Amino acid sequence: MSDCGCEKAKAELEEYLHQELSEQDFQDITEHLAHCDDCSTEHLVGIALTEKMRKACREQAPAELRQAVELKLRSLTAKQ
Amino acid sequence: MSMVLDAPVRADDAGLGWAAMNHDTAVPVEDPRGEDGERETELDDATLRRLFEEQALPFMDQLYAAGMRMTRNPADAADLVQETFVKAFTAFRQFQQGTNLKAWLYRILTNTFINSYRKKQRDPYQGTIDELEDWQLGGAESATASTGRSAEAEAIDHLPDSTVKDALQSIPEDFRLAVYLADVEGFAYQEIADIMKTPVGTVMSRLHRGRKLLRERLAGYARERGIQVPEKTGGKR
Repeated sequence: MSDCGCEKAKAELEEYLHQELSEQDFQDITEHLAHCDDCSTEHLVGIALTEKMRKACREQAPAELRQAVELKLRSLTAKQ
Repeated sequence: MSMVLDAPVRADDAGLGWAAMNHDTAVPVEDPRGEDGERETELDDATLRRLFEEQALPFMDQLYAAGMRMTRNPADAADLVQETFVKAFTAFRQFQQGTNLKAWLYRILTNTFINSYRKKQRDPYQGTIDELEDWQLGGAESATASTGRSAEAEAIDHLPDSTVKDALQSIPEDFRLAVYLADVEGFAYQEIADIMKTPVGTVMSRLHRGRKLLRERLAGYARERGIQVPEKTGGKR
């Protein structure tokens, strides 16, 4: 077992969350999280934040916008 | 949803490095009207439009959502998205099939936003935000006890969507963009760096600081609603 310790884990949690770590670092931190309540709780807050934003920011483009864009594209390809 | 589109749009405006357009390499299209070169171009445009409609238009909801977070109002978001699609279509011959269309569209969206809307909206922090020290920004440090933090995750989860959007609107624009592109859209750091035209290190710092601010604001909202989140989230590690 190669526990990387809290300091490294905390420093890289965000990169861990965004899957920006090398495979080795990813494994080290996964392993640390499995054994450290403190870091894994911190990680949960990070996940909650991302998930919440993802859900909250969903939008549907208004129908008028869709129509306007389609019309615009047609006019751009019409004979100039 | 009227403005901006009456002037012809050049791909250069979207910062796409428009190379010479080569009609000779266009896919030959059946042309009932004979050797008229212009007609051939016209028909080919129709094919191009069909391809664009199939591939690019499905991103409209996503681009509109991003536009909403950028401009903070529906009318500007709609204008921004329309302008983005027009620029993208005008430059679509330059787009290399098989590469990341979504990232390409977001690059145009972000450029367009920065060039035309940011000027209009005047973010007071603009230009200096990356240089501010953390203490000037405030924000959460991860120094709270883990029991407090599991309450925090729960509280975030239960906040209304509008609160989350308000919190996101309230953080400085460059941070907001980085957070949005990474967390909502799931772009890789390098893609965000390309979209925002900044080094990856800057992306990471904006992301880190943006998330920190957001977390602090959400904890504040949660407390206002009487949800138990530890007050003391400051303190240096």
